[in-house]
Order: sequence, then C-alpha cells, then structure tokens
Amino acid sequence: MSLSGNYFAGVDVGSLAAKSVILKDGDIFATGLVPSGVNSVESGLNALNIALESAGLKQEELTYIVGTGYGRVSAPYANKAVTEITCHAKGANYLHPTVRTIIDMGGQDCKAIRIDQDGAVVDFAMNDKCAAGTGRFLEVMAGVFKVELKDLGAIALSATDTVPMSSTCTVFAESETISLVARGEKPENILNGIHHSIANRIAGLFSRVGIESDVFFSGGVAKNSGMKNAIEQALKVTIVKPEIDPQLIGALGAAVIARNFAKKEGLWA
Amino acid sequence: MSVKTLDVIRKRLEERPDELRRARENGLKVVGWVGYNVPEEIIHALGFIPVRIAVGGDDRLVEIGARYASSKTCVFIREIVGAFAENKDPYIQQTDILAFDATCLQNYRAAEVIEYFFKKDVVVLAVPRNFHLDEAKEYFAHEANEFTRLLEERAGAPLDSARLAESVALYNDIRKTLKSIYTFQASKNNVISWEEVYDLIQAGELLDKREYLSLLTQTLDELKERQHYPVIASDDGDSRIFLSGSLIPRGDRKLISIIKSVGGRIVGDDLWSGILPHLDLDIKEISPAGVALGYLNRTPHAALPYLDLESDRRLKKLQECLSQFKAQGVIYHTLRYCDPFTFKAKETKNVLAKSGIPLLEIHTEYAGSDYEAMKTRVEAFVEMIKIKSEIAEEQSVLVDA
Amino acid sequence: MGKQLFRYSEANKEKFLESDNITFNDGSTVSPEEIWHYLTEEAPVKYPSAFEVNLYQGNRGSRDETLPTSLKTRYLGLTFSARMEKAKDNGKSIAFIQGGQAVDPYTAADTIALRPGLVNQWNNGLEYGNDINKENLRRKKSKEKAFHDMSFEACQTGGYEHVQAGDLRIDVIAPYTVLRCSDISYGVEAHRHGPKKNVKLLNVDYPLRYQADKPWAIEYFAQNLRRLVNTLDEVTGRKTSEDDLLKAIKLHNTGRRLGTELAELWWSADVPPTNSDDRASMVSLGNLEVHGDVQASLSVLKEAKKFIAERVKNGVKGHAVADNPKRLFILGSCVGINGSRSEDAGAIVVGRDDQWSHCSSLVEEEGDPYYNLAKATLEYPYEQSIEKRAQWTIEQIKKSRADGVIFIHNWGCNTQAAISRPIVDIIKRETGIPTYIHERDLHGLRDEQEQNRVNAFVEML
Ligand code: SF4
Ligand code: SF4
Repeated sequence: MSLSGNYFAGVDVGSLAAKSVILKDGDIFATGLVPSGVNSVESGLNALNIALESAGLKQEELTYIVGTGYGRVSAPYANKAVTEITCHAKGANYLHPTVRTIIDMGGQDCKAIRIDQDGAVVDFAMNDKCAAGTGRFLEVMAGVFKVELKDLGAIALSATDTVPMSSTCTVFAESETISLVARGEKPENILNGIHHSIANRIAGLFSRVGIESDVFFSGGVAKNSGMKNAIEQALKVTIVKPEIDPQLIGALGAAVIARNFAKKEGLWA
Repeated sequence: MSVKTLDVIRKRLEERPDELRRARENGLKVVGWVGYNVPEEIIHALGFIPVRIAVGGDDRLVEIGARYASSKTCVFIREIVGAFAENKDPYIQQTDILAFDATCLQNYRAAEVIEYFFKKDVVVLAVPRNFHLDEAKEYFAHEANEFTRLLEERAGAPLDSARLAESVALYNDIRKTLKSIYTFQASKNNVISWEEVYDLIQAGELLDKREYLSLLTQTLDELKERQHYPVIASDDGDSRIFLSGSLIPRGDRKLISIIKSVGGRIVGDDLWSGILPHLDLDIKEISPAGVALGYLNRTPHAALPYLDLESDRRLKKLQECLSQFKAQGVIYHTLRYCDPFTFKAKETKNVLAKSGIPLLEIHTEYAGSDYEAMKTRVEAFVEMIKIKSEIAEEQSVLVDA
Repeated sequence: MGKQLFRYSEANKEKFLESDNITFNDGSTVSPEEIWHYLTEEAPVKYPSAFEVNLYQGNRGSRDETLPTSLKTRYLGLTFSARMEKAKDNGKSIAFIQGGQAVDPYTAADTIALRPGLVNQWNNGLEYGNDINKENLRRKKSKEKAFHDMSFEACQTGGYEHVQAGDLRIDVIAPYTVLRCSDISYGVEAHRHGPKKNVKLLNVDYPLRYQADKPWAIEYFAQNLRRLVNTLDEVTGRKTSEDDLLKAIKLHNTGRRLGTELAELWWSADVPPTNSDDRASMVSLGNLEVHGDVQASLSVLKEAKKFIAERVKNGVKGHAVADNPKRLFILGSCVGINGSRSEDAGAIVVGRDDQWSHCSSLVEEEGDPYYNLAKATLEYPYEQSIEKRAQWTIEQIKKSRADGVIFIHNWGCNTQAAISRPIVDIIKRETGIPTYIHERDLHGLRDEQEQNRVNAFVEML
C-alpha cells in the first residue's frame, strides 16, 4: 500500500542505541529504536525498518534519508551524513523553537550545544574523550549496584545525603564506588553523589559555551529523572518537557535536515 | 595543482639524512635544536648544521617517552624523549649537540631528561618569563652570550661577526620568501595548498639553508608564473579554517587530514611549527644578544605569560592573521598536557567571539583512538560554518515548510 | 548529622593550660584557656568536618592530646579563615603566592602571603556547619568551573574561582614562577580574563639552569624582587625600605633556623616523637607563613622545639605511631600522602622535600638584602638540576634515616612528573633504598588505590 505525501527519514546510530524518525511532510509520522549491535549498518537499518513497518512504508518510498551519530560514516542507506550536533540542534528546534541550549547525554559522549532561533548551531562543546558524564558511565554504575539503568535516577532521588565522588574516570569511579560501599555508605547516597558529580561536569562544560533558556535535555540519559534533577540544580535552570522520547531528537533532527536537503536538491517542492 | 619544485624538495628531504652523515664524516657537526626561541643564526654562523628536532604523531614513541619523562608530560615532549630513547629517527641519529631553550618549562625538562638518560651534550638557553620587561631583556642578552659561549666551546672557534651577518641575511631572505609563498595558499583559485606550504616550511627545518632558499625562490617563481598575483578571497563553498594552538610537528597529520576529510579548507595558522616563528623577526644588531632579542621580540609564545589581556600581542597577531587570510573559524589544537595552550583556549575563544569568529578546541594526543571523536567535532564545526554562510537559503526552506 | 565527632579529653586540659600564649602580628595574644575553649566548644560546631571521625579522610578518632603544639597548630588552622577576614577588615593586604618559596619580601612589605593550599583553607572556613561530605561537594563544585575557566589539566586552580568571584579579598597575585610548578605562571595569567580587574598581577620571574652560578641571573631575580616589593607597596601605600627587608630576612632566618633545628631534633630521636602530620605541621612553621601570621607561627614554633626536646630526651613515642615504623621520605609535587592511614599501615613520614627545601636555605644578612635574598632563593635545592637536587635529597634521606622513598607527582604537575624517574633513579643507585613513584589521579583525590599502593610499598619494606 502506498500512501500519498512526502517522507523523510533520519537515522541516528549511537553507541548504545539506534534510532529513526520518519517525517511525513512536516510531521512526525513514525519512529524506531533498537539497541546498537557491533554492526552499525545493520543497527541503523533495523531502527529504520521498525519505523517503516509501523508507518506501513517501504524504504524506496522515502524521498531522502540523512544518517547521523557515530554510525553515519557507514550508512549506505542514507543520502547524506550530518553530525549529531547539527541534528540535535535541528531536532530540538523543531519541537520547541524557543530552545536555545541543548544538553545531550548519549552513550559515549556528552554535548553542550547552543543554537539560534533557526536551530542553527552557534557554539558547542563536548566532554573529553573519557566516558565521564555519559550513559556508559551510568551503565557501569548500574552494574556496580546491580540495578537497572532506568531505575538509577529514582534511587538517587531517594537519597538523604550526597557522598562526593572524587573520580570522574569510569574505571577509577567504579573502584571508588566499591570502596564506598565497603565502608558502609548507602547506595542511594553514593548514586546521588554520582549524579551530582556528573551534573557539575556538565555545568563546567557550559561555562565554555554559556547557557540561555529554554534548555532542552536530549539523549538516552535524559530519561533519567535523577540526572535531570541534578542538572537543573547545578545549572540553575528548568528543563523543558519533551513531547517525544528525548533519545529520538538526533534522528528527528536528521529527518528535518533530510527534508531541507530534499528541497534544496529539488526532490520536493 | 602540483607545484614542481615541491617534488624536488621531497626528494631532497629523502636524501638529507645521508647527506648529514657524510657531512659529519667530513668533520662538520650537527646541532639539533628543540624549542621556540633558539636563535638558529648563531648555530649556523658557528659552522654547525642546524636541524630542528620536532617529531610527532607516533603513539608508540610517546609510550616509550613516558617511561623516562612520565606520562604527565605533554605528548610532544614525550614523543621527543621516546625518539631519543629509541634512537632510530635519522635526524636524531645525526645530532652531535643539542640546543634547547626554556621558553616552555616542559621543553626545559626534556633537556634535563635527555641529558640524564641518553648522555647527550646539551646546551640550554634560558628564557625569561617576564620577557617584555627591560631587565628581562638585559638578562636574556646575558643568556644569549652564555649560550653562544657554550656553543663556541664546542665549535672550537669564536663566533665571527661577519659570518653572523651573512647568516642573518640568509635567514631573513628565507623568511621573506616564505611569507610571500604563504599568501598564495590562502588565495582564490590557489595552486598551492596550505598543507603543501606547511610541509614546505617544515622541510626548511632540515635542509641546508642556502639550498632551501634557492628552492623557495624557485617555488615562488613557479607560483607567480601560474597565478601572477594572489587575491585572498573565498572560493565557492569554502569553509575557511585557521589553525591555532599547540604545535603540529612533522609526523603528526591527524587533525590536518581530518579537517580536509570533512570539507574544511585551512587557510592560515599561527602554529609554532608553521608560519608564526618566521613572522616579525627583526634583528636590529648583529651580535648574539641582538639575534636572540630579535627572536624574543616576535609574537610571544604561549608559554610566556603576559598579564594584560588588552595589549596582548599574541592575540593581536591572531586577529590580524584571521582578517588577512579571511578565516571564518579557528580550530584551536591543544595537545594533552600542553599547558601553555590549554590554559588559553577558553580565553581565546571568548576574545574571538566578540568579532564573530567561532573557535573549536580540539584536545588530543597521538593515539588514533580519538580519531572518530575528533572527526565528529570538526565535522560539526565545518557544518556550523557552512550553515552560517548558507543561512539565508536555509531559512527560505524552513519558511516554506 | 549524626556523624561521630572527636572531642579533646579534659584529662589533658590542665597540662595544656600551663603552656604559652600565642602572640600575633598585631600584638594581640590568645591564652591556652581561650584556645581550649575554642577547640572544645566553638570549633566542633563551626567546623564539624574537622572533628568528624572518618578514617578515609585522614581524621582518626584520636589525636596527640598531650602535645600542646598539636592543639595550637590545629587552633591556628581552624581560626585561619576568620583571622584572614579580620585582617582584611583591618586593612591588611593579602597576596597570593607559590608554595615553594619563602615570604621575606612580603613580610617586609607588610603583606600576608598565602600559597594555594592556604587560599583554599581560607575559602573552606567561610562556611560553617559542614560535614566532610558537604565540604567536599562544595569544593568540587567550584573547582569544576574553575578548571573550565583555566584548563582541565591544571593541577590546582590557585583559588582562581574564589578570587574572581570576589569571595576572597586578595589584593595581589604575585608568586615566584619557580620551576617546581608547571602551572603557576599560567594561573596568574588566567586572572587577566576574569571579571575582577583590580587584583594586581605579577610573576616574580625565577631564572633557570645553573641559575645560582650566574651573577646576571641573581641580579635579574633581585630586580624582580624589587619590582615585587614596589608592587606590594602600591597596594599598601607604604614605602618598604632596604632596612625593612633586612629585618624581615633576619626574622625569617630565625624561623628557618628554628625549623631546621626542630627537624634535626626530631630525626635524632630513636623513636618518632610525633606522628607524621604533627611533624609536618611543626616543621612547616619554620617558614613562618603557614598560618598567615608570622609572629604566631614563630611563637608556636619556639614552644614546639621545647616540647620535642623533652619527648626526645624521655624517649616518648608520638601518638598512634607503630612500633618500629617504616620511615618514609616523600618527594615531588606539593602534595603528601595520608599520614594517619599510613601510620595504621605501620609507616611514618619522616620528611618531605617540599616546604623543606626553602626552609633550609638561609639568607646572608650582610650586604644588599635584595641580592642576598635573590641568591639564597636561586639556591633552593628543589630548583636545581636533576643531579644537584638528587644529591641534596639523598642527604636529607640519610639524615632522616628513611627506609623508603616515595615520589608523588600530582595530576597536572608536569615539571615534577617529568623528572620523577631520574631523581628516583639516582637515589636508588646511591643509597640502595627502595623507591616508588606514585602518580596521583585527577584533582588530588586521596583514594583507596593510592592508599593500597602506599600500603603495599610499606609492606614490601
Ligand atoms: S608548548 Fe606545549 S607542546 Fe610545546 S613543549 Fe610546551 S607543553 Fe609541550
Ligand atoms: S602539584 Fe605541582 S603544578 Fe601543582 S601547585 Fe603543586 S607544584 Fe604546582
């Protein structure tokens, strides 16, 4: 079955998950999300197929596809590749045109992005290459406490104290955490400390690019309520509520850019 | 594009280590220098063959260097120390004497460590941190004399003033020619790229100076023949990137190749491994102190602190270069543990932001592991610059939608 | 907060009350009664963190309560922040300096000189009622921002964040740019982009490479010292004479001599007369700068010598020191190891090169005081070539009868890190004493891994 309209897709292959968004003309039509495997081409296609399936579309019916995320370099299905920084900017702008600042916390990096009213990037900064302040870091911590990643935030929110974490290096923090547990500190207080230490890192990142309201929190970690809370405290801001899964923002932005490219290249009028 | 003389230079570089070996067999001595304010003319005029020891990009050597100089020394110095430990670099093998300066404390520590572990004959020129004060210049003049004395001892003869004048004249010609060539790379319809000029500059750190001058002159003639007069302006779709920050020595082409691979065009630099040391070198007096002060009075290296932001010449020079080369963005390269440049990254960014020039800091070392992460940042930066120039067009698309 | 706090036992009160008053720069004094009251009543409320029993942070459940100096240095430390605030209210000027330098010219120019550790101490003391966790969190938060303002690879931020935020009333930032510290001159420079424009900045330029053998280098440093004094005078509005400097030199020589004698006395004992931390806090009094008050330091130092002499004579062993502890000498960056935990592991720190190098450098009192001071300063053993520094260190190691040597280099402390291996090599070669190089992780944490390694080294000894 073929539907009328123009379809544009964005596919974002990150280190932990692959995401896709399909736009019909200007509206979100379908989305897909799968954990990333080692093969990033496959992961991207899987995510795209989920969205296609739920939309009842075939890949050929897509006018334009933009790939993003670290998997963008090997995305034969995409017409173009754009970095996730540009995509997050466009995605957040699409949802909330008043957004000027984006915090993106993904699996392996963390970004501070400043955008203008058109969703164009005016400045950005990223964490250095270590995993501190990323989804990966939290995943390791969830492992230490043997809890689900998604429950970490709620546990931290139940803390009565904040145990400071000296180390932001994942490897060191892991063993530091173990010794904190060994000396009798409560898990929720340690987790609270971890969230605060990451939030401070992020606040530091913003001291390089500045911050302006509205603030949007994207990426997989954005679903963590404890993290959101800690960041709001550290940055003294209120984070806007996302209408869609914040993990999809990169793919959404890629789809918006796909539409722009299609227009520029005369594939869609 | 291909400029023919560049091929000749590449070939001459291949032959150079052998040539040095033969020269040494004939009794000449090679002085390897490491640093930022080593007055090369003095070395040259004493009859030594100067070569610059500046290698980078090899993570394996960095690892080796860390065994001697710890893993907390800047990557560049770690690699140098590693290269001495391994002793396979053809230029390191051919050095008889090493000349260091203390512009950067880490460079100074390298002198000490190399002297200690590898029993090298090391001469050090101390450099004042308060370089701009009169008393510091006086002190530096003494240091330049001392540096010369130590080299004279090794040359077995005093420095001859007439020969120093000749060396200064030769080096002045080299600097002048380099500057002329440099403008060609930034021009519209350029026939020589920044990358080629960069290699050309670094070739001069190794080749015989007289021959180098004649090769430069040939290069310039070729360029003039093909392009007459270079106009510095954008070509369509350019995103004109200016490179700043920690040095990028021969062997390290990671960042440069990334910029190129994502469609950025480098149009200028103020790197201490690039054009900067050749700019504004004005030698007022033919004497060791005169030459050394000429060096010190250039745009100061980032390791020399300057306490007033408004009158900082380093930033002024950067801004001047940005407008001269019509750059749209700065990629500021900082090497792991290179304090002189990392401490200034944010400040430089803020200063440039006032004139609407974005700056991206790339903090890196020689391992290949951060290649993808660097690429994402550089690519996003280039996208940002391109979108900025295309913004009007973009907007119309959005408005229609 | 329900955290267990240490309390001084009344049993020792009487003996403590017999000890001397502390006399301060402004001529005021504080009596042992007042000190006792402060330590037992006021301070535990104001600074619970300092009394919290927390082995991991080096706060054990007991102290050397029969050593009055231990209580007095504690008192000076805890009142530090309040005393600096008071000094500022009274119009005194305060300078930020470097850790490895003497402060004679600052004393001469009637300026309090604070090194990075003291600047942090000042700031920490401004907030009351914090336990250790809260205090650490507060510190971490402001540091994180400062690291972004300066560099991630700065080993410390020298209180940049506090000075620039206006939390600390520092008038002038004027350290010696000694080679020991890779970051100091860049740290000073960073202030040029901060919002606080009225803080005066000066790098006192320390020459390198056989500097003490070069008359022109000494002359140059002497000119730097003159420039320093002029800068300090611009702040205070007074005119410091050569005679003022000579007086300051004499005063500081007294401190240095006493500090040296004290250290040698300590070393001469068969059993360590105090634990590591008490030893360090007494010996460091010799530089007279540690508590931001030259006279107060001097008065406690004089008394300390008396107490130590007594203990040495009677063969008293310091509190919490193991029998036949392994004696460690610590080298490298301006950071140490956790004293009490190392003692628990059967070790004791008998010396460090930092703070000691300049304490042991006396200044000639005849002739041009600037030149003399410059000469003595350029002779700091810590600042010499690898070979010379190593030889001096070996002497100290021998004098202190150390069994093991640990070279610590701090995160970001490039110029110490770079020569750790050569220095340690020479020591090992010439003394045969076991050595260990420790790299401290980011931002100075005192963590389990570090202690594990130190303990393993001690076990090996
Ligand atoms: S300037 Fe940077 S790269 Fe050069 S020696 Fe110093 S720290 Fe190393
Ligand atoms: S640890 Fe080293 S770099 Fe840091 S303040 Fe101390 S001496 Fe300076």
